[in-house]
Amino acid sequence: MTDQTMVSLSPLELDALTELVNLGVGNAAVGLREMVKEEVLLSVPKVAILTRQQAIENLGEGAVKRLVAVHQNFDGDIRGRALLMFPEAQSMELVRAVVGGDLSLDDLIELEQEALAETGNILLNGCLSTLANSFGRTLRVSLPEVVHGDGSEFFNLTSWPRADDGVLFIYINFALRRGDIQGYLAMLLDLPSLVTLKELLASYIVSIGGATTTSATNAS
Amino acid sequence: MQASDALGATAVLDAIDGGVIVIDDAERVAGWNRWMEVASGFAEAQVLGRTLAEIFAGVDLKRLPAAIRAALGSGGSAIITHALNPALLPLQTRSQRPLFHDITVSPAGSAQASRCLVFISDVTMATKRERFLRLRQNARYDAVVARAADVILTVDDAGVVQFINAAGVSQFGYPETELLGRAAVEMFQTRDAWIANWRSALEGSPFSQPVELIAQRKDGSASYLEASASRWSSGTRTFVTVILRDINQRRATDAALRELNQTLEERVQQRTAQLMKAEETLRQSQKMEAIGNLTGGIAHDFNNLLHIIGANLHLLKRDVAGNEPAQLRVQRALDGVARSAKLSSQLLAFARQQPLDPRVIHVEGFIRDMDDMLRKAVGDGITIDMVLDAGLWNTLVDPGNVENALLNLAINARDAMEGRGRLKIEASNVNLDADYARANPEVMPGQYVLLAVTDTGTGMTAEVLQQAFDPFFTTKPDGRGTGLGLSMVYGFVKQSGGHIKIDSIVGQGTCIRIYLPRSLQAEDHLVEVDATPVAGGSEMVLVAEDDDSVRDAVVAMFNDLGYRVLKARDAQSALTIIESGMPIDLLFTDVVMPGPLQSTELARKARERMPHLAVLFTSGYSQNALAPGGRLAAEVELLSKPYSREALARKVRHVLTSAAERRSRA
Repeated sequence: MTDQTMVSLSPLELDALTELVNLGVGNAAVGLREMVKEEVLLSVPKVAILTRQQAIENLGEGAVKRLVAVHQNFDGDIRGRALLMFPEAQSMELVRAVVGGDLSLDDLIELEQEALAETGNILLNGCLSTLANSFGRTLRVSLPEVVHGDGSEFFNLTSWPRADDGVLFIYINFALRRGDIQGYLAMLLDLPSLVTLKELLASYIVSIGGATTTSATNAS
Repeated sequence: MQASDALGATAVLDAIDGGVIVIDDAERVAGWNRWMEVASGFAEAQVLGRTLAEIFAGVDLKRLPAAIRAALGSGGSAIITHALNPALLPLQTRSQRPLFHDITVSPAGSAQASRCLVFISDVTMATKRERFLRLRQNARYDAVVARAADVILTVDDAGVVQFINAAGVSQFGYPETELLGRAAVEMFQTRDAWIANWRSALEGSPFSQPVELIAQRKDGSASYLEASASRWSSGTRTFVTVILRDINQRRATDAALRELNQTLEERVQQRTAQLMKAEETLRQSQKMEAIGNLTGGIAHDFNNLLHIIGANLHLLKRDVAGNEPAQLRVQRALDGVARSAKLSSQLLAFARQQPLDPRVIHVEGFIRDMDDMLRKAVGDGITIDMVLDAGLWNTLVDPGNVENALLNLAINARDAMEGRGRLKIEASNVNLDADYARANPEVMPGQYVLLAVTDTGTGMTAEVLQQAFDPFFTTKPDGRGTGLGLSMVYGFVKQSGGHIKIDSIVGQGTCIRIYLPRSLQAEDHLVEVDATPVAGGSEMVLVAEDDDSVRDAVVAMFNDLGYRVLKARDAQSALTIIESGMPIDLLFTDVVMPGPLQSTELARKARERMPHLAVLFTSGYSQNALAPGGRLAAEVELLSKPYSREALARKVRHVLTSAAERRSRA
């Protein structure tokens, strides 16, 4: 999944990153549990570093065109953009799980923005703050914003100057009572941020004992 | 707000139309603007240095403390909406109404001194407007949708059920929670039709006309629904709302109607067939009636003529005594008369106008007695099986005719089997019930003695069956059949109040069934009349006969036999003679004569005056003059024309003897 021209992570670094993401999602799940009406189980089956183009292609797979995303910018030692994305058709199920099944369709539609914003907010915050805390750094994260569109729109938003950036692409599963929803958590990082991430991962690995063999596990 | 500032930040924050709370790195309030003081009822002085949990003691702050920690610890920002967290903080408007609010939590300050900003925005107006709109809309919506008899189903652009009304819940049989979020296609047996129509609606072409779909209920049963659909959008989302009308009742009614129509056609066909059969039966019986009347009429006149010829030939035979060639010729002429008489009696039999002499008989013994005769008739090549049930009922028939009928049928069977095969003669008791009578309109329901004659011959085609009873109809080669056998049997059975039926399969054989009505009387003993010797007498005979030639011939016969004779040309004249007081021993009268007085009436009146008078009727046919149905009452004596001198002599002697016996008993 990695590309030769961009910063690549060693298997060890990728393992460490996966563990941190799992930790973050796990933290987020605690917050989520307080808010949602129905049980939502989260799991992270896969983490990868992709080019923007690869990320767009990944999102285009399975003929899912329309996506809904919760978007937050972050700034600090690493800077970039975090997106939590779902196929638009399935997002309603997540909303229904968050607000409870006894609301009318009109109510659901009205609450969709808020529900997605808060859910995404909790997840993205959980991941970002876990990463920041683990690296001992501070980030400034913007308020969430809900956007509808497709992958290429999300990854080609203006104010993103460089083409050689990378995407930390995290597959995330929402297990709902009525069936699973496949979501994606993407962090677009510029090259310096990727380099910093690699350095931070390396020092994190050292800080926790030099070597780990952890793999992705269910964090919820 | 007292936060230290040289830039007048306090005044700025106080001017903001929204709540601003500054939280320090120990999660304690470090700033609390004017708006917050008003909304919370707490002055800044009361809250500084305290955590939100302390300030709003007893209030579930939900995500707020965690969001504050995240902002302080790692720079996270959070939004906590009124929509999902209604009335999180106990805030009030200036008029002491609940204040609806959204909360955002953002990191603030520098790396050295971490701060967090909690901003509270008033969404009361917007929320109230939304709530009002929703209530108004819901009221209308409920009136239309919730109470609709039709299923109203909203499906999103992925085909997932997002809404279903109460009618839908009961139609599909799932709880609402199991329907919402389900792929709608799973709810239909006609999946392709559902997908095609949903897609078409989604693309903006609503169903041009209602489409029939078959739903699959939770219990697995099918339900017929008529669907119409249209799409609508909310923001970026597109939905299809489908109205499903339950058409099971309509389909059931249609089906019942269709079936009714179909059975109506069947019933019409059945009735038509029955009518055609009845018409055919009627046609057949009319044909038989017409032929019967014709042949009966001819035979009657023919008999009178034969009688004249025969009587005169008898007399002539005596006249030419001694002239042998002449005697031979007269004898040949008499043979011709005899054969002609047989022919006309057969015709009368068919016409149901033969004089019957019915007796109560027990056919079993009767048929057994015929065994020899039948074997001789059919020949050695044919095996005869007799299956005669024990305990057969009695029947009232003319034994001679039964014998004749069986013989005729046996001969027909022999010819049909071309001399080789198996002939089965059965006799049994049967009840012909009302159902059978309905199917065979000429049959009276009741108890019958059945005689069945079955052969293994060539059988008859339908065309042959149609004409089997017609006189002179025969399938036999020229000279071998008269075509009168079955006609005679038919006439006799009908005249006896019975029923005859032919079943035949070409190549397999024929079965003819004769049903003779049961008689409850005891069996009569048959008397062999013909065995009595020919003898004349000297008694006085009154001959009443309208035909001069016939009268002359019969008078000559009586004279020849030694009787004394008085003559009358009609019944009235005969009565005049009787009333004159002349001693008369025998009244010999034709049955049918012109004039006001009938011969039966003549006989009755004569008996009134002379109770011991012997009466002998003679006739070319009996018609109904002597008894209804042409069957003679037991006490009525009849001599059928033409008769021989010997037959006349025997019958007259028999009648006179019986009268003398009655007289001596009296």
